[in-house]
Amino acid sequence: MFSLLTVMADSGPKKAQYERDPYTHTVAHEALETKSEVESFEIREVLRCILHTIVFHRALGLIRPKDIDLELFDITYVQCGEIEVEKKIDDKIEQFVTWIGKHPNKKSQICLTFYEVKTKQPSWFTNKIERLYWEQWNINLSAFQPPTKPPVGKSHHSKLVMDPGEESEDISSRRTLLEQSLQEVLFQIIKFVNEKKDHVPPINDGVIYCPFEITFPSSSDSTFGMDMLKRMLHSGGHPSMLS
Amino acid sequence: MDFPENLPSPDIGRLEQIVSHFFPKALHIVLDSRIPSLQSRGRTRDRSSGGLNVKKSDKWFNLIMGDRPAALDKLHSWHRNILDSMIIDIILIHPTDDDDDHGNVRSAETVIERWVVQYENPLIMSPQTSDPSTRYQKVYKKAIILLRSLYAQTRLLPAYRVSRQLSSSLASSRYEMVYKVSSFSDVFSPPVTETMKEFRFSPVEVPPGRLCASVTYRSDLSDFNLGAHITLPPRIITDYVGSPATDPMRFFPSPGQSFEATSFHFQGRAGRPPLTTSSASERPHSWTSGFHRPPTPNQSFSPDFHWSRTDGGDSHHQLSPPFSPSGSPSTPRGSYSPRINVRPGTAPVTIPSSATFNRYVSSNFSEPSRNPLPPFSPKSTRRSPSSQDSLPGIALYKSSRSGESPSGLINHYPGHKLTKDSKYDSGRFSGLLSSSGSPRFGFSRSPSRLSSDLEDPDCSCPFDFDDVDESVLQYRLKCQSLDRRKTSSSISQSLPIGRKSQDAAVGVLVQMLKTAPPLRQDSSTYMASSMSGVQREGSSVSGAESEFSMARSTSDALEELRNYKQLKDLLLSKSKSVGGATRVH
Repeated sequence: MFSLLTVMADSGPKKAQYERDPYTHTVAHEALETKSEVESFEIREVLRCILHTIVFHRALGLIRPKDIDLELFDITYVQCGEIEVEKKIDDKIEQFVTWIGKHPNKKSQICLTFYEVKTKQPSWFTNKIERLYWEQWNINLSAFQPPTKPPVGKSHHSKLVMDPGEESEDISSRRTLLEQSLQEVLFQIIKFVNEKKDHVPPINDGVIYCPFEITFPSSSDSTFGMDMLKRMLHSGGHPSMLS
Repeated sequence: MDFPENLPSPDIGRLEQIVSHFFPKALHIVLDSRIPSLQSRGRTRDRSSGGLNVKKSDKWFNLIMGDRPAALDKLHSWHRNILDSMIIDIILIHPTDDDDDHGNVRSAETVIERWVVQYENPLIMSPQTSDPSTRYQKVYKKAIILLRSLYAQTRLLPAYRVSRQLSSSLASSRYEMVYKVSSFSDVFSPPVTETMKEFRFSPVEVPPGRLCASVTYRSDLSDFNLGAHITLPPRIITDYVGSPATDPMRFFPSPGQSFEATSFHFQGRAGRPPLTTSSASERPHSWTSGFHRPPTPNQSFSPDFHWSRTDGGDSHHQLSPPFSPSGSPSTPRGSYSPRINVRPGTAPVTIPSSATFNRYVSSNFSEPSRNPLPPFSPKSTRRSPSSQDSLPGIALYKSSRSGESPSGLINHYPGHKLTKDSKYDSGRFSGLLSSSGSPRFGFSRSPSRLSSDLEDPDCSCPFDFDDVDESVLQYRLKCQSLDRRKTSSSISQSLPIGRKSQDAAVGVLVQMLKTAPPLRQDSSTYMASSMSGVQREGSSVSGAESEFSMARSTSDALEELRNYKQLKDLLLSKSKSVGGATRVH
């Protein structure tokens, strides 16, 4: 259900890594309560739009923005134009879609987290590299698989015209709602990225975009939550976090 | 402008620089997305080069916009005091319903967007706690984020789509989008403000003041009926169903389905999927009513092209600062020279041209001098696309019925010819059949012919749309059987029955059948007469000939008549010499 699309931004002062007070924005938009549904093939478009919009606002290096028109919706969003970013986001979306395919009709959450890489003083024990997460965006959505209709005729030569009756009206209304919700979410993203700017790390020369990672539950929701908590509690230094 | 004295002087200068560069950058972002004539060149340069070829001025705020048009520099030149606010009005010129006395449609101007950028200088300075040395870096970073938001917002608001629609429309439109830059705003009339929404960007603290940006916009532009008035250019159908490149058996949903009108090939998109993935309901089919249905006004799309301004629009943009220009600064639409290859909208099908066909046919003639077949006059082969489209199936049917034609071409392998030659034809044929659930619609131009054909009990059902290949196969088998009989005779020597000439003859036959008159009730008479065999006197041929003369010029008809007579005589003589009439199905 796209109605559960909430974009939460956790941000806080950079100094206190995990003792900071997360400042959470939770969007509960009224339009989202209409429970517009996201179909599998729409997920890519929706996620690509949202993730790229967020990254665009955090790619503070010299970029040449790229305007992308969504195919399913009447919305244009902006990419930062970096191929690595595009590839990373696309790969993650594909993994997510695959995961969705295995867990249909289930709520899921995809997280976009920005971090800073800090190298600690190398001791003679280990050479620790830690990640300081300074912003986290949570995108909740539910994808559903519409039930496939049995074929009307036996051979594909028979009348294949689908009944353009109520079904198409439902689809169009749902899609319109989804488009409105998506637009609203994008407005909210722009608002959030502007509200809090102090926590954004300074721009380093040559660095175009802030490093980020995209995560989603690979198993059930509960373990995903535990994973996130573990990560937050046991801060960097763990080699497994470097991926 | 009094910057705080406790700031080191380089910081003062840098902060002031940030503010002073912020205004033109914001102006550039807004107008670039709204006014096509002010779009930057060099936006889509090679991205791999990164910032190598970027002007220093374009690198401000780490947002490469491309070369700033000179008009924008002039616009901003009057904005010398950073304390002056910059108000950018995006105005839509649209026709009104009122007509003046002379019947001309009046135009009205409506502000659909207002962008306000200003540097607010507070009366009381707030104490500065942050480290002054890094202050300008933080300020710069925040200004970058603000401009990113501004950029993204320009793409989200409704005026963006309108501007794209207007810029893509080739025909003269009574709609136009213009801008006005000023330093003070007219107070909105109450009815206007009610329909407008406001979005305020979070300000950026630039000591001693702060940079603010906001936009007031009309969220609903449907009142202007833009879709109904904008003529959209014809689209290039790259995946037309009749093309052999597409899957002829693909299912197309009915146009009633509500697929979103998707936008394709918009400027700047790399790696966009081709038009084949477009919603099928938008794709015009040749079998829909009218040969090429123009896109409905509600569809939103834009062809794949890049606008290039052919004229210097600078002369239009002279402002008498700080007031708005009197005339429309946007370039007249007629001066655009879009680099698009637009197929005329009414050309429905790419059919084998007569030139290519003739080439193919003539190449297969082993010895043209020996060929008694009627040489194709250009006129006979140059048929209108409509008749050709509607007749392929009928051509098949006729050839299967009339086992021989006066030309004797039936003896050969028309089926082979069809499959070999125009995979296009077969593709098209089957493509027509697999149209959206109404196969017969492909022959809607001649419904009467269909009915007359199907009533014939001997019909081997070439219009059995489930068995296209089977009909061709049946036809081929019949021709083969005829051929076997014919080859046994010495006819083969005089008739163009050689390997190559067979194909040529078949091609000629196909062409003749294609140009044959429509199957009406009269045609059944023709069929019956042809069925009786070649022994029929020339009267039958002339009777048939009268049919042909309807569709062609008299000279062509006469010429054909002579050729038919020759062939008929030849066949007669040969059949007599063989010693039996050939059975004809």
